Amino acid sequence: MTSSPAERPRRPRPEAALRPKDSAPVETSPPPPTAPLPKPIPKRPFLLDFFPLEGPEQTKLHRFYDRLREGHLSTTRCRRDAELHWPPRTMCPRCRSEDLEWVDLPERGHVYAFSAVLAGAPLGMEQDVPFAVGLVDLDGVSLRIFGRIEGRPWTELRIGQPVRPEAYDIGDGRMFYRFRTVD
Amino acid sequence: MKGRKVALVGGATTRFGVRSATWAELVQEVGVALARSVPELRSEEVDSLFVGAAEPERFAFQSHVAPLVAEQLGITPYKILQRTELACASGQSAIRSAYAAISSGLSDIAVVVGAEKMNLPSMAEANSAMACVMDRPWDGPAGATAPPFFAMVAQRHMLEFGTTEEQLAAISEKNHRFANTNPNAQFYEKTFSRDKLLRLPLIAPPLRLGDCSSMTDGAAAVLLTAEEHALRFTDSPAWIRGSGQYSDFHNLAHAGSLTEWRGLTRASREALGQAGIGVKDLDLAEIHDCFTISEIVEYEALGLCPKGEGGKFAADGRGDLGGDLVVNPRGGLLGCGHPLGATGVAQAVEVFQQFSAEVPPARQAPDPEWALVHNLSGSANVHSVMIYQRGGAA
Repeated sequence: MTSSPAERPRRPRPEAALRPKDSAPVETSPPPPTAPLPKPIPKRPFLLDFFPLEGPEQTKLHRFYDRLREGHLSTTRCRRDAELHWPPRTMCPRCRSEDLEWVDLPERGHVYAFSAVLAGAPLGMEQDVPFAVGLVDLDGVSLRIFGRIEGRPWTELRIGQPVRPEAYDIGDGRMFYRFRTVD
Repeated sequence: MKGRKVALVGGATTRFGVRSATWAELVQEVGVALARSVPELRSEEVDSLFVGAAEPERFAFQSHVAPLVAEQLGITPYKILQRTELACASGQSAIRSAYAAISSGLSDIAVVVGAEKMNLPSMAEANSAMACVMDRPWDGPAGATAPPFFAMVAQRHMLEFGTTEEQLAAISEKNHRFANTNPNAQFYEKTFSRDKLLRLPLIAPPLRLGDCSSMTDGAAAVLLTAEEHALRFTDSPAWIRGSGQYSDFHNLAHAGSLTEWRGLTRASREALGQAGIGVKDLDLAEIHDCFTISEIVEYEALGLCPKGEGGKFAADGRGDLGGDLVVNPRGGLLGCGHPLGATGVAQAVEVFQQFSAEVPPARQAPDPEWALVHNLSGSANVHSVMIYQRGGAA
């Protein structure tokens, strides 16, 4: 059963969080037995569905979603030039190497900028309005990632708000990430 | 600049707004308007057609649109037939492609059409089309559409430079006021005082309804020719003197500080350099006010004012009639609406009409010689700039 990172032991130190987790970003070995395979058929037609298809038969980056299922936000890092990517890649855009490794990202960050969607939500997100979104600087790495911010209403957010990445099941077996405020 | 001289010799737009017309019907409507603008044009002498359309697949369920447009306009291109897509800059991309084709000698007479039909029975579907402009599998599921992104730009600009809601409203008031001189504008005959703008509902805080351009249906078209054909169509062609673009990221993770649009600085320097002028030489600018904050950051990135002073530049009316230059006299995207593929073409039409003194005095730049047209696309990750010069001869 999927669980959120809140129910898992925290690893607060970014250097520990950046330890390589796997040697091959594009390998196709089956996911760990504890992680159920995502259901292959989305509820919405593909061209009206924002969430990606996540399985190994659909993307070389399926490890990203497997790791989310284990409660961790991860990405690729280039073994040649140590470039940390976002989003995860199958080729390093700096040196064009395909020799990449998976690393977990820090489990804490701070809001750099935020807003909220109060109107004009895309299909499938209308019921979420109002929702907060923002750019989050992850602690200890040079990455600023965009995502939903849950945990408190947008009117109570501020720049600098501490947040943590959170994995969640979107409701049909697929996983995605968002941020949650921490005090 | 190497290559042949290229002239914009005529153009027209449809009425922009929530239109009771399909994408294809808007194209036909602008075909009529273009024919009126260049009555000397014979269908068979059009050797090339460039169609700017951002998302006809999503908005109109139609791909392969270039031959569809050719058939509807009754032309049979025999050199280059092409559709260009660069999201909000698709129209300018079509003009740039025609410019390159004529400049290189591949084409002599090219029609450029930009069109978008954005108002659908389900606005959520239309918003989805807008949202897949972003890095869809990564930023998309979070709800990354244009309003929250540009809202974050505004939030940071307010934090770093003290920019105010009143300064944002000054942009919106100016461009809506200009739109009241433009019967083709979506917000023609709709007035927006600064007080009223500040009371409109929040869409993506701190941006309110009046800070955001609209979902709009519309089309625009221009005729571009090589030097030797130009004076057959008009006495006052607009000569393309420079062109620059810059793109350095796509995913929002790489948007940097949000408030410094280096891509626009790079693209405009490239285009101005080709034209051999500086930004202070501009009499007129049609720049991409998809949101009020965009025009403020663009003032700074273009070098019209120091970084952080775009809000003051707006509040002081330096982009208004009687200011340093006239910015967005057509009414901008805020006042005209923003049919993605049509916008860049409609901006070029405005430049041509300004040079020809065909616009009402309430928006006529005084004796303009140099004009800049700018479009950003996506999350301001791409900037496209063209420079035009008025003149009777090349």
